[in-house]
Amino acid sequence: MSKPKHLLEMKGIVKRFGPIVALNKVDFHVGYSEVVGLVGDNGAGKSTLAKIIVGYHQPDEGRIFFEGREVRFKSPADARKLGIEIVYQDMALVPYMNVYRNLFLNREVYKKVGFIKILDKKKMRELTKKLLEDIGIKRRDPEMIVGKMSGGERQSIAIARAVHFGAKLVILDEPTSALSIKESERVLEYVLDLKKKGISSIIISHNIYHVYSVADRIVVLDRGHKVLDIPKDLATPEEIIDVIAHRLPPEELQRRTRA
Amino acid sequence: MPSIRVKMITRYMELGVILSIIGMAIVFTYLNPRFASLSALSSMVSLAAELGIMAIGVSFLMIAGEFDLSVGSVFAASSILAVWLLNAGMPFIVAFLAALGLAAVIGLANALITIKGKIPSFITTLGMMWFIRGVLLAITKGFPVRLEVNVPELAALSAPILYDLRISGLWFLILAAIFHFILTSTPYGNWVQAVGGAPETARALGINVAKVKTINFVLSSVMAALAGLIAMSRFKVVEPVAGMGLELEAIASSVIGGCSLAGGVGTVAGASLGAFLIGEIRVGLIMAGAPAYWYIGFVGVLLIIAGIINLRLSRRE
Repeated sequence: MSKPKHLLEMKGIVKRFGPIVALNKVDFHVGYSEVVGLVGDNGAGKSTLAKIIVGYHQPDEGRIFFEGREVRFKSPADARKLGIEIVYQDMALVPYMNVYRNLFLNREVYKKVGFIKILDKKKMRELTKKLLEDIGIKRRDPEMIVGKMSGGERQSIAIARAVHFGAKLVILDEPTSALSIKESERVLEYVLDLKKKGISSIIISHNIYHVYSVADRIVVLDRGHKVLDIPKDLATPEEIIDVIAHRLPPEELQRRTRA
Repeated sequence: MPSIRVKMITRYMELGVILSIIGMAIVFTYLNPRFASLSALSSMVSLAAELGIMAIGVSFLMIAGEFDLSVGSVFAASSILAVWLLNAGMPFIVAFLAALGLAAVIGLANALITIKGKIPSFITTLGMMWFIRGVLLAITKGFPVRLEVNVPELAALSAPILYDLRISGLWFLILAAIFHFILTSTPYGNWVQAVGGAPETARALGINVAKVKTINFVLSSVMAALAGLIAMSRFKVVEPVAGMGLELEAIASSVIGGCSLAGGVGTVAGASLGAFLIGEIRVGLIMAGAPAYWYIGFVGVLLIIAGIINLRLSRRE
């Protein structure tokens, strides 16, 4: 079987919340080892699209293909099984729980004694220590309560979790919005690391410059419609911002790039 | 180093309640030296057993982010059902399972109404609490329901074994150990904490939030029924108002033991120790010669102190 053209392909996605049409016939795809920047103003439908990809929401219309096969996710568990992971800005981890419990949440390492599943805490602690070391977190205590860690550390842990469990597609929802400049840089470096590892990602952000620094392609949503889908090299961050702010018609930008 | 102290307290949430238990023991022993005896300890465990078993279920659900105020009514309803069935000549095991089954159905109803109706469980179970109580009062016309047959199997629930220790005290300790183990050392326990601490995150990570909550609603109700059956086996009579106020004591035990009303934080061991502390205060006050009625006032003060400590700790997070 030949490799399908895209890792993820979505066709004609429609999502309504009551009378509101959050997504209107959106086509969207992500290639292999590709970083796609998904941008747009508040209420453009970015998060809704992301939540459909990970099975949190179900589309009202449209078809989704992952690795060439049509999929219909009933829950995030279905999407996770296929290797689709999302890292939310402030809900990636459970703040009251410690690092290792978070890392292995719903993917616990356990031993079976009869029919009872007993957590293999030792193994989870060891794996967590190694993982923290890999992502350069200095305090390598697997029992640290996540709520006490910095935003950057939390983002890094969430991304590392996705990678550890063999994600093929990682969606980052506003990964830098709550971070310091230095921490943002670090998280963006992880995104590039993902690409090097052959993992595709979708980065959703208000910060066009952050998106621009890592994305291969930029997709702009506007009130539920896809208005622009352009390789990064063909547009400047300022042009993208102008499109989002309705100062530059997307058709005009596309005309420019063709010229 | 203060940071280590905070770490100790947040990691071992039972520390506060353990210190309270020790502190109270010192005070009560000072007031009456006989307090420091195995006999007194065993009567504390036995006294705490019914509340404790209820608190195990209530805290397990509370950690998953939901309340159950109907446990006091379930306590009465299930044991009244058991007495009726026993009086009608049914075997013990049938009456026992029917009582637990009734509780499971009530727990399931609480879960479905809360989850499908998208209303706070505080409302659902407060309504359920009054509804069941109303039905009980209407059916019994307010009269106690007496066990009229001899049921030797009831000894398995609460017979005295040693000093003042009853089997029910052992059941309490065993159940506390089992539930504490489930919470801290099984995947399901991990899900319970996540569901209560951050339901959206839990859902995003593929945990079936509604299922976990439903299971815990049912467990909470079944544990309350078990507590009711134990009380029934001791007194051989059930008042239709039995267990009234016990739901609040169970919640108080949980909070004293470190559970957060918002969910996600707390342990079963803490809640069980909270129930034990309440038992300790009851026994201690009696032994100190104070009127037994004082104890609920004590519990009130303790609850407020525990609440303040919990809040301080969560702010430091």
